[in-house]
Amino acid sequence: MKRDHMNPENFSSSSSTTPNSMDAGVDELFAVLGYNVKSSDMAEVAHQLERLEEVMATVHHDAALSDDTVHYNPSDLASWLGSMISEFDSSSNPFLHSDFGSDLISIPGKALYPKSNPPQPKKLKSTPPMPATPLLLIDSQENGVRLVHTLMACAEAVQQEDFKLAEALVKNIGFLAVSQPGAMRKVATYFAEALARRIYKLYPPNHQDSAFNDLLQMHFYETCPYLKFAHFTANQAILEAFAGKTRVHVIDFSMKQGMQWPALLQALALRPGGPPSFRLTGIGPPSHEETDHLQEVGWRLAQLAESINVEFEYRGFVASSLADLDAAMFEIREGETVAVNSIFELHQLLARPGAIEKVLQVVSKLKPEILTVVEQEANHNGSVFLDRFTESLHYYSTLFDSLESCGGGEEGVSVQDKVMSEVYLGRQVCNVVACEGVERVERHETLAQWKIRFGSCGLEGVNLGSNTYKQASMLLALFAGGDGYRVDENNGCLMLGWHTRPLIATSAWKLTT
Amino acid sequence: MDMDMDMDMDTKKKCTRFFINDNMDVLIEILKRLDEKSIGVAACVCRLWCALTRNDALWEHLCFRQLSPPREGVRTVVAALGGYRRLYTLCVKPVLTRLGKRKDMWTTHEVDLSLSLFCVDYYERLFLAGAATPPSSLIFLCKAG
Repeated sequence: MKRDHMNPENFSSSSSTTPNSMDAGVDELFAVLGYNVKSSDMAEVAHQLERLEEVMATVHHDAALSDDTVHYNPSDLASWLGSMISEFDSSSNPFLHSDFGSDLISIPGKALYPKSNPPQPKKLKSTPPMPATPLLLIDSQENGVRLVHTLMACAEAVQQEDFKLAEALVKNIGFLAVSQPGAMRKVATYFAEALARRIYKLYPPNHQDSAFNDLLQMHFYETCPYLKFAHFTANQAILEAFAGKTRVHVIDFSMKQGMQWPALLQALALRPGGPPSFRLTGIGPPSHEETDHLQEVGWRLAQLAESINVEFEYRGFVASSLADLDAAMFEIREGETVAVNSIFELHQLLARPGAIEKVLQVVSKLKPEILTVVEQEANHNGSVFLDRFTESLHYYSTLFDSLESCGGGEEGVSVQDKVMSEVYLGRQVCNVVACEGVERVERHETLAQWKIRFGSCGLEGVNLGSNTYKQASMLLALFAGGDGYRVDENNGCLMLGWHTRPLIATSAWKLTT
Repeated sequence: MDMDMDMDMDTKKKCTRFFINDNMDVLIEILKRLDEKSIGVAACVCRLWCALTRNDALWEHLCFRQLSPPREGVRTVVAALGGYRRLYTLCVKPVLTRLGKRKDMWTTHEVDLSLSLFCVDYYERLFLAGAATPPSSLIFLCKAG
């Protein structure tokens, strides 16, 4: 990072309030990067930087390698610069061009310039002349810690509405993120973008393009087990609830591509006693294209049902919000067993007051045999922005970590699938951090919180059986990185997590009698 | 078997040789007991054997041999979704490999899971009929690069 003008008048030495500064008078912005530079020393430091540049420019490119390298810690920038300049001044030997690919970059020190015999010169690959910036010691691990601190500091600045500071910090995040490997870099980049949007009030466009959303979700479905886990566990609960029933009706709040239902139809076709007559009502958002997407999905499912001899009936409803529905629309028939299914849909209702209560009332009126719910296991709906930020940072870091294990090789899951999955999650991050009010729809809540909500609407929990648990465990074992995924049972509900952190929870509910 | 008894009487009369290709049901019975790799080898013997190895009954045996009695209705469903050979290649084999299990450790849970995945794949193909992109709901079963 280079200042445009090394002019002492341009530096503002305001009293530092950032958590990084140890003593008053240390420049805030340098401090955030980890360099302790007293504001009063700034002019001198600037002068020394210029001198160092001059000295380095006169050095030869061919280098003599040495076995020992000495690493200088540039945190105390003033004295580091002093030692560097004295090194160059003391000898006119060439210095080592660093390999910028490695984590630790060695800075030539006294060992490289022995007073007695010069070491055997070895030819190095000639590298292009370095840009005129000072050599920096880059330690990726240390930078990782700094990255998290910077993210938190930026969020805190936003919380306190100190947007000037937040702006400066958010620029640094991008710089720090580049040095990180894999998941951390991606997470930091998405969170930085979301913070920037919040600071500059460039809110993300409302993601109305349902076709693109569906596409992203399909890649997410293929890449990692979360959606498959959701579908399989919900299906097992529905299958058990439908035992012995001859006419069944499933109402799906999250129709999308209908990927959940083939497996249920097949299981019903093969159940002892034969399949019931099956009716499916799918709810979907309005589509901007001309084709009636919901009807197409229904048509495909009908084809499948016909192939496996299951009596099938389908109806699709378009609704921009689940709260627009009412019980009469579904035309529940006499003797029909109803199941309601919702995968990652209910949390969106929390954006409007009264919506969730209305929907749960409608559900109660339908008198379902079972309500299957899958939701993210996290509290991203706290009233304090900083809490939401911290929670979601941990949550999405874990999620992105698990994505890293999902392949990306030539066979199987491709890099493109992974990237699309990351974009899918990135949109959620953007919504949690940058949006407010009715726009903020990713209002995830924990199972415990949902339990309270369901309880107050007359719904009690149904235990998911051991069959569900076994099937889920087996499914996870099939995924690359299967060791990292864990299924845990929690009061009759199943949670899928990565290592020790639960990420999604499947639960089943019924009306309290 | 009838064939055997006929042959016994014949061999008493004259020393004729036994051509396995004339006795396809015996041949099929033998092929049924082979593992997948051996079936592949057998398919290379001659055109008749190649055609026989495509007989779905062989693959049904390969998939569900140790689960007896076979469940009712499975055959019609599997046939509708593409057949046992396809079920084995797409689902049963990768699932077994991933779970590191031998076929004799196959339980109903593995069967159910394979059938479900098979059905999802069939559905995806319905959607993508004619499209350039191949179905991908099962790609997670492929060996990671």
